[in-house]
Amino acid sequence: MATTRFTATSILSELKSMPVGYKPTFGDRDPKLGEDRVTPLAVRDWLARLRLLEGVPFNNLVADSELLPLESIRFFYLDRAWTDALVQGALSVGTVTSSDRAQLEALYPAVRKEIDEQERLVRLPGSEARQFGAAAQITGFLLRSRAVSGWPGLQVRAYRREIGNDEDIIPESSPDRIKLLRLERLAPAVLLALFDGVPAVVHVEEPRQGVQFGIKLIPQGDSNSFTATVRARDVQTATDIEPKLNIPVSFRPGAPGVLDLRATGETFLGTAQTHMNADGKLDGAEFALQMIRFPYRQVFGDPNSPNAVEKGDVFRPTVARNLARLLATFQEKIP
Amino acid sequence: MVSRGKFVLHSRAVPPLTAGDYVLQGTQTLTTDGNRPTAPYEAHLRVTSPRFKLPPDQILSTYPPANSEGAYESRLPQIVIKRRTLPWERAADPADRKVPWLALVVIAEGEGQISAEVAIADCVTPGVQLTGPNDVARGIYLAVPKTTVTKVFPTKQDLPLLAHVREVDLEDTELAMGDDDGFLAVVMANRLPQFDRVACKPVRYTACLINLEGQLGVLPPPSTPVKQFAALAQVFNVLDYYQYADTGGGSPDKVVMATTVQPAAAAAGVAAAAATGAAKTKAKTPTAKQAKSAVPQPGVAEDWRATTRKVENVALNTASAQAAYAVRDAMKGGFRLPIEGIVAEPVYRFPILAHWSFTCDGGGSFESLMRAIDVGLLGTLPGPGATRKRPECAPPPKGDAPPAAPAARPKPEVAETGHVGLAHQTRVGDAVRAWYRGPFVPSPTDREIATTPRGPALAHTSDQLRAVVPDGREDLSLAIAFEIGRLLALSRPAFVGAVMQWRREQFGAERARRLAGRATANTAKLADALKGNTLATFGPLLGKTLVLETAVKRAAVLGPVRPPVDPGRPIDFLQDDVLGLLSVGLAIDASVLQTLKKTGSVSALDGVDVPLGKTGDDAAQFNHLLQTVRAEVDRIATDALGGKRPDTGAGAARAKGAEPADALDDMIRALIEKWKRET
Repeated sequence: MATTRFTATSILSELKSMPVGYKPTFGDRDPKLGEDRVTPLAVRDWLARLRLLEGVPFNNLVADSELLPLESIRFFYLDRAWTDALVQGALSVGTVTSSDRAQLEALYPAVRKEIDEQERLVRLPGSEARQFGAAAQITGFLLRSRAVSGWPGLQVRAYRREIGNDEDIIPESSPDRIKLLRLERLAPAVLLALFDGVPAVVHVEEPRQGVQFGIKLIPQGDSNSFTATVRARDVQTATDIEPKLNIPVSFRPGAPGVLDLRATGETFLGTAQTHMNADGKLDGAEFALQMIRFPYRQVFGDPNSPNAVEKGDVFRPTVARNLARLLATFQEKIP
Repeated sequence: MVSRGKFVLHSRAVPPLTAGDYVLQGTQTLTTDGNRPTAPYEAHLRVTSPRFKLPPDQILSTYPPANSEGAYESRLPQIVIKRRTLPWERAADPADRKVPWLALVVIAEGEGQISAEVAIADCVTPGVQLTGPNDVARGIYLAVPKTTVTKVFPTKQDLPLLAHVREVDLEDTELAMGDDDGFLAVVMANRLPQFDRVACKPVRYTACLINLEGQLGVLPPPSTPVKQFAALAQVFNVLDYYQYADTGGGSPDKVVMATTVQPAAAAAGVAAAAATGAAKTKAKTPTAKQAKSAVPQPGVAEDWRATTRKVENVALNTASAQAAYAVRDAMKGGFRLPIEGIVAEPVYRFPILAHWSFTCDGGGSFESLMRAIDVGLLGTLPGPGATRKRPECAPPPKGDAPPAAPAARPKPEVAETGHVGLAHQTRVGDAVRAWYRGPFVPSPTDREIATTPRGPALAHTSDQLRAVVPDGREDLSLAIAFEIGRLLALSRPAFVGAVMQWRREQFGAERARRLAGRATANTAKLADALKGNTLATFGPLLGKTLVLETAVKRAAVLGPVRPPVDPGRPIDFLQDDVLGLLSVGLAIDASVLQTLKKTGSVSALDGVDVPLGKTGDDAAQFNHLLQTVRAEVDRIATDALGGKRPDTGAGAARAKGAEPADALDDMIRALIEKWKRET
């Protein structure tokens, strides 16, 4: 019979040869950007997030609590073989027949490449430019400290080289800066950061939201008694007085931690370098200016590096102060 | 305009009018064409301002954040208010408008009481009259004894220094925080939160924005400042009063006259006097006196964390309409012990406009914490000198030796590569140890496990990723990663749906297209077959062909047939002369075994003597062995016969053929007799 040419064997061989010659069609087309992707966006995005370890139980990230003791920071490289295995596990869902698996095998190199590119798009802060291409060697750190629980919204920045005082924060797309792929608190006191490259310097900074007022506590003798100082500023220029001048803070007797503001203010007033004595009176703005404490920045890097900045010089913010007293005028005009 | 990232400070923004009712009067005089009288104009206007309650949208931020825990020891709490004039909208001191009417006071647990909602007339110290219109009908107040006021509240001279106006750039989201005009009022507190170094435990504080109208005179006078202070958490503890109060509700007489001292009644007194549930948690708090003798206990923090967690639970579980109220209410936990009537000193009431609580759970600051941090690559274990004790705690008082530290857990087994040795129970139940390494490694690793001609290798099951390392243990890292990925994907139906759809729509469609192409390519050949048949018979023909082809080429179509039984593992030494082995091993004549093999009857073995060991040099040992065996046989037989001693020594006569009765015969006989008796 002539029909034997169209046999079960030929159908089977056809099925078997399919995945080998299979050319993927594009599942996700964006004509505007000219981007064609095999993997649909929903799948791609979820897998990229999985690559950045979203949802992975903490026990599997750090196998033993001794590896991340209290008050510690641990830097690491990300094992891409591990994250690839994670993705392979996710892709294995719903592969029932060997033809499903054959198709997945044919498709996998393209899918993996697309997820590599997607990793950089998971975290896109509004002001940052989009970066293309696959992420580089991913590194990061785990920080377990009371600093994480007490200061929600820590700022973390990584740099390829020591750039000194970056008062004007350079964008993530700059060649000196390393993109932050993920920054998340895994537990109240545990912070995870993933970087798109191997940083030379990492800055961890107190959140800038809101300005804080405070003093510097200095323990005396036994650990239970303290004195406190404030580094004085010149209220005319709003910069720190050079050479460094620490003004002692006064406290109310019998009331631990309660400041005697009047007495402290008068100490400021009596210090000529602060230039507060212009009108002989102490006012709230001048006092606030002295008490403002700027976010502290901790720098992790190689102190022996030739570019390393001197400690303390990394971040020195300034305060602008309006000398024309707007409100005083306002008050004079409408008595 | 202020540039981005900068701000301008102003000492104050005093509005010309204070809040209250005003009458605007106007008269007009027309003089053209003689004097023409006009009616005077009178307009009533009210300048409003919050007095007992701050609208929540007026609060831009608080520091420390509400319900947070942290080392806040060197920072002054503050609140940022949207309306720049708010701290000066009322005249606390009519003579000096520079004095704000708002103050931010920070009190620890036990230093004051935050009331439930009451009518606003009760929100101020009895005797104080507040005139003018009010913003709300009911409010809450802070009741504090005179000691707390004297020690913690700002003096009148401090007040102007504690409030100022900040002008920021509206575009700067970090500083402006959603304000509308770029001017913010900031009110600071005058007290640094403290960590309790003596008892080594966190301290919970509440910051209250209070109204000082009419009560400026209560504020403490200026005192002689000191430059040094000893950190103690509380300046006053209402629990001390409960300590000595009787269960009847705490009469001040008892305290003042010291007629009764009943420390044991403390807990009962608290429970009886305070009806609120929160009081019970408070009762657990060690008083200042107890705290002094307490030793550092890491577990104490749990008590305090409980409150924080409770507030979080309330925030998550309450219906949205009441959430704000419920959360604020939950934060009051620990600040509810009634003070009035218990404390033998004047108690003052201040209306609270806003309040939030936070916990100071450690000494130092962000700077000291970050400087003391232990830096290392993952896989670095803490050194032998690493101390777990909180460095800021005071040493325990002498005399009371602290309890011995709990035995340290054995150090984990960590390899240089970052692998950790973990207990592993295999599928067959063996308890072994295996290596595991998470995604974080101390040195760069190779990405490719292996590559196939078509690209990177793809595992389909986790077992494909199991590996055995040279030390003989399994490395399960990648297999575990695979399983986690699979389970995470399965837990997301949306993802599973998307993957299945993708597979179906792309691969499935492509496969169908090609098969169709193949089928249509053969239509010319099919045409011959179809000539003699109608379309109706084509289907059965196709089916029949498929079945026949499948039957002929079964192995190619359906795959190889699996044999019903798997052969076992071949045993090499049994391949040779089995009879020879048995003959040597059991010391039986080979000919007997030959017979056995031929006939299959065991009776051939009856005539074989059991070889006994030679009583050579170790005759004593042999005899001992024999005695033991006999004794054991006796014991078993005696048990079986119910106490009757068996007739032993029958073994010698065994070979004679007519065997005398042995222990088994005795047993059978006994059973038969028993059976006969019973029937």
